[in-house]
Amino acid sequence: MTRTKTQQFLELLWGMTERELRARYKYTIFGFLWIVLNPLLQMLIIGFVFRFFMKEPVQNYYYFLFIGLLVWNFFSLSLSKATPSIIYERTLIKKAKFPCQIIPLAIIISNFIHLLVAITLLGLPILFLRTMVPGSIFYILTAFVLLFAFTAGICLLSSALNVRFRDVNLFVQAFIMFWFYATPIIYPLSIVPYQYYWLWRFNPMTSILQLLQHGFLNMPLPGVAMVSINSTIIAVTLIVGIITFRNESKNFDDWI
Amino acid sequence: MSTTKNNIAIELTGISKRYEIHHEKPTLVEKFVKGRNESFWALKNINLTIKKGERVGIMGPNGSGKTTLLKIITGITNPTSGNVNTYGKVVSLIDLEAGFHPDLTGVQNIYLNAMFLGMAKKEIDRKLKAIIAFAGIRQFIDTPFFTYSQGMKLRLGFSVATHSNPDILLLDENFSVGDEKFGKKSRDVIKQFRKQKKTILIASHWKDFIKQNCKRIITLEEGRIINDTHC
Repeated sequence: MTRTKTQQFLELLWGMTERELRARYKYTIFGFLWIVLNPLLQMLIIGFVFRFFMKEPVQNYYYFLFIGLLVWNFFSLSLSKATPSIIYERTLIKKAKFPCQIIPLAIIISNFIHLLVAITLLGLPILFLRTMVPGSIFYILTAFVLLFAFTAGICLLSSALNVRFRDVNLFVQAFIMFWFYATPIIYPLSIVPYQYYWLWRFNPMTSILQLLQHGFLNMPLPGVAMVSINSTIIAVTLIVGIITFRNESKNFDDWI
Repeated sequence: MSTTKNNIAIELTGISKRYEIHHEKPTLVEKFVKGRNESFWALKNINLTIKKGERVGIMGPNGSGKTTLLKIITGITNPTSGNVNTYGKVVSLIDLEAGFHPDLTGVQNIYLNAMFLGMAKKEIDRKLKAIIAFAGIRQFIDTPFFTYSQGMKLRLGFSVATHSNPDILLLDENFSVGDEKFGKKSRDVIKQFRKQKKTILIASHWKDFIKQNCKRIITLEEGRIINDTHC
């Protein structure tokens, strides 16, 4: 009975993910339905209010909004839950030696499963809009890979640093609010004047959303500069996150 | 060389551990303004070799570094300098209740907890009944963990840990689990481990318990080994 480290890692990771999924909707009446209800309510409210502000109406605005909100909910929920996760699981860390990465990663994966379920459910009507072609799937998959990589990178970084500097959690909470408006979720990037585009190039969520908006609703693709700068930032974040977590995790126990 | 290695369970060379003292919650500002924090050496240059099947008691007053030593052997924390080598599976009973989720049921918690102690899913499938029986909580196995009494929680934690089949078992002080009946059960397990020639480390200031169970007593004081006797 020999198990490789990887096998053990995956088993543990899945065990924790299952725990996240199970524990979340315990004692709720609507249970799993909240995956769909939550973004649906958000979409209706924001959609209704923002119609008054939009100069040029976006085609299929409610669908546009719903994709953005689902992706954003995944990202912000993962980030805000993962950042303090190591501290919340301090008893686990004090109990046994195990790869602590699974703590934030399980949160991300459970949220990602939610995202996929919700997108599939609410996305079915999009098929009838005839905005999707077989090639769309390529853009959608790319966006998901980028999204997962970025979320994982930034969550590993923030959760590791938050052990020593609890300010990180507070900073993240404040920054998420600002970040929401800095990402083309409720507006398409095209309403931004071109001379300010460079600002959005520093926000990797831009390409991810634009790729999805293109994939699902046939909106314009992100520019080459946007995609390449965004992807570079994502790759750097992921590498920095993995390395920082590895270094910091050696001494988590000393700080919690 | 290789034959001697095979007899060794734990090998510590030049282990030192420094903790930074944080009087207040550490913040970024504090870090940058004040620079380095005060520090404190919990362990100073510990050299220790423990052979397979040895039963070692670690004694010493509070704050002498007993728990830190166990944590370093388990790998929960890393030493500031020095090397740790352990041969075989190490399980520590430092915090029995740790790793249980209050909203999940007993069974779900057993699986999760056992995985953290390095058990494979199939292995847990096989041992599930034994784990439940040993903890004596069959009736409550499908109820959420938060409904358990303190004793039940500890018993379940102990049961999972001992069923994970460790080669090296580390026990920290306050090792008094459950009531009289369960106390006997757990002492029987320790006896059984002794028979199976497992390596056992017990940190405690309860002298009688150590003398009863250990063949070698190491005394720590202010992070140093001041005495190492076989008896």
